Amino acid sequence: MQRRDRERPGFSLVFWRELAWLRRRPLLLMLTVVIPLGLMLLLTAILSAGLATRLPIAVLDLDGSELSRSVIRAVDATPDTAAVLHVAELSEGRHLIVARKIRGLLMLPRNLERDVFAGRRPEVVFFYNTQTFTVGNLVLRGANAAIPTVAAGIRISLRTAEGQPVEEAQAAITPIPLQTHALFNSTLNYVHFLLAALLPAVLQTLVVTTMAYAVGLDVETRHRFAVLRRLGRGLVPAMFGKMLPYTILFLSMLGIADAVLFRFLELPLRGDPALLVFAGVLFVLACQFIGALLALLLRQAAVAVSIATLLTAPAFGFMGIGFPRLGMNQFAYGYGELLPGTWYLMARIDQTIRGTPLDLSWKPILVLVGFVIALISISTLRVWKMRGSSEGGAP
Amino acid sequence: MTTVLAVFRNEIGRLFSLRPVVSVVVVAAAVYAVFYPQPYLNEALRKVPIAVVDQDRTQASRELARLVDATPDVAVAQVLPDVPTAQREVYARSVFGILLIPRHFERDLLHGRTSPIALYADASYFLMYQRMNGAVTAVSRTLGTSFEVARLVGLGVDLPVAEAATDPMPFIPVPLFNPQGGYATYILPAALVLILQQTLLIGVGLLGTLPGGAAIAVGTSRRFGDLAYESIATVAGKLLAYLAAEALIVATYLIGLPYLYGIPRLGSVATILAFALPFTLAVGALGLLVAAALRKPLAVQLVFAAIGLPFFFLAGFAWPAEAMPLAVRWVAKLLPSTLAIDGLVDVAQLGASLSDVRGEFLGLWLLVAVYASIAVVIEFNNRRRASTPAPVRGTS
Repeated sequence: MQRRDRERPGFSLVFWRELAWLRRRPLLLMLTVVIPLGLMLLLTAILSAGLATRLPIAVLDLDGSELSRSVIRAVDATPDTAAVLHVAELSEGRHLIVARKIRGLLMLPRNLERDVFAGRRPEVVFFYNTQTFTVGNLVLRGANAAIPTVAAGIRISLRTAEGQPVEEAQAAITPIPLQTHALFNSTLNYVHFLLAALLPAVLQTLVVTTMAYAVGLDVETRHRFAVLRRLGRGLVPAMFGKMLPYTILFLSMLGIADAVLFRFLELPLRGDPALLVFAGVLFVLACQFIGALLALLLRQAAVAVSIATLLTAPAFGFMGIGFPRLGMNQFAYGYGELLPGTWYLMARIDQTIRGTPLDLSWKPILVLVGFVIALISISTLRVWKMRGSSEGGAP
Repeated sequence: MTTVLAVFRNEIGRLFSLRPVVSVVVVAAAVYAVFYPQPYLNEALRKVPIAVVDQDRTQASRELARLVDATPDVAVAQVLPDVPTAQREVYARSVFGILLIPRHFERDLLHGRTSPIALYADASYFLMYQRMNGAVTAVSRTLGTSFEVARLVGLGVDLPVAEAATDPMPFIPVPLFNPQGGYATYILPAALVLILQQTLLIGVGLLGTLPGGAAIAVGTSRRFGDLAYESIATVAGKLLAYLAAEALIVATYLIGLPYLYGIPRLGSVATILAFALPFTLAVGALGLLVAAALRKPLAVQLVFAAIGLPFFFLAGFAWPAEAMPLAVRWVAKLLPSTLAIDGLVDVAQLGASLSDVRGEFLGLWLLVAVYASIAVVIEFNNRRRASTPAPVRGTS
């Protein structure tokens, strides 16, 4: 510490002072290390399963025939759904769906088997709940995969009963088979889709608010602002000395999150790792300077933190992961455009699961470069202007 | 009772006069009410652009592409000569799927052979994948069925028999709630509860950390009974103040906003408000603990800035609780939002009665009891410490 006190004013003095602050102020350390790690760990724990499998559904089997049992077995056999209980009435099933004890109800009508083979086309009805979007769609996917398979078996047996050879019957029942290939995330894993995007989203809010606070502390009073300038021997070195410790800390947090994703949660890294890191640096810098700029403009830590929270806390919805930006209205699309996270997530998806060719990878990265240059320029201008006014009004 | 009333009046006065508190509890709540729902207001994702690679170039292949384009979910944005070209368009995000119609599609179909097609759909955005997969699957099934029926009729089979043979057991999926599968209808009822919790938690946290919170002078009483009475009255008065102040905001968030955003409501207003009562009290009581733990207004603001997103996923709404580790599910139960989102969505959107959600309802009251008791104990300890003969420092 002593040696550092004797250090000449400049960039490195501000840098070391900031690190000393981080050691002395538990709140800053909490915001840069404890909370990011804690929140990211929590999100990872929530979504760690990656796939929601064997969601419970109930069966109302009014037929009790061989066919109805084979339908139930088929639904139980899909990875998405598990037939966990039988109900006696429709109202009971509906009640259980509302109580979230079950996620769907399969109703097999009376005389199902007899009517199927008599050509009366009885309906198999599946009740589910799309109020819980993801779960509703998952159980529907399970039922939708299972029941046509059973129906296909019936259609083949109807044809073979007429004397058609099995292969011919198989070909005849699906004239246009569709092969669907899920590009980039073939197992539809929520860790690779959602968690990989949520972690930077949480970090975005943390970086912007923390920087609004940290810079706010230095610009709240003219005295502190002047001290910072003297320590840095000029405003620009002071500004960068102030920012750099946080850049390093937040990048480490992002690095830890990514290490967990790549090593333990098998997130593929199909693109260029250097590009991913570069995009990460730009993302953290852009978020940092948004926070800093808010503090410089508002000059009060508390106000800057409130505005930073207001702008970034709801940001995840605007970044187009859950609900794609394609479907958003003009305002939401435009606001998403202004968030560094939107572009970072694009670059991140490109370099991780997509493995986008290099020549198609540049757009989001160049946008982030533009953000960083613009934000640093505006911050510098603002700091220069503040120096002018603080000199004029200094006692 | 007069002490409770004094605390109540003091706290409600502070709530509406301290600028940081007003800006969270009132201003932020108003801003979020407009700002947060914006991405979802179109409700559904429509016309996801895909590319068609038509290697057949026949009437049948063009008919297939036209049928796919005619679905509400998908739009054929480009017709491209080969798969690698189309793949580059997927990488560039100008299309999100490739429908490949191979050569001899029509010939095989007319000869009664299987004539497969392939869909390469971008699964890095699940909703897009789901839309494309659903639309193209439906078209290929419908078109395939019509070919199969036509063939059977051509062989001399009666139409009803042919239809029964191609679809002997129709599958009818019936969504009980949110039948359009609207995204705003799905996410807003839950998100609004969470925003209420966030704004109130931060607001109460700020009230507890800003000066002026002690309506009853600290350090005057010594007797256990007096201290206990003062502590209970303080906590009760404060909670009642938060309840009164939030009454309008909660009603707006749970009834007014869903109405304005066109979200169907099946439950009665009275049931919703009855359920909101323990929720608001539980959040208020938890806010008192937050204030005691974080001690500084800025710490409250900063710690809670990013916590909303994990809280949302913890609620078991966007991601099923069944798929979470058991320990996480228990942690989730400590948050009022988890029980309240389940209960309020059930009541408002699914039309559940209070007895249907009594588990959540009683759970929230239990949280109120536990958090309020802890708040009383903390208040009691603070008062006892202040009243011991050692250097006395009034906090008011």
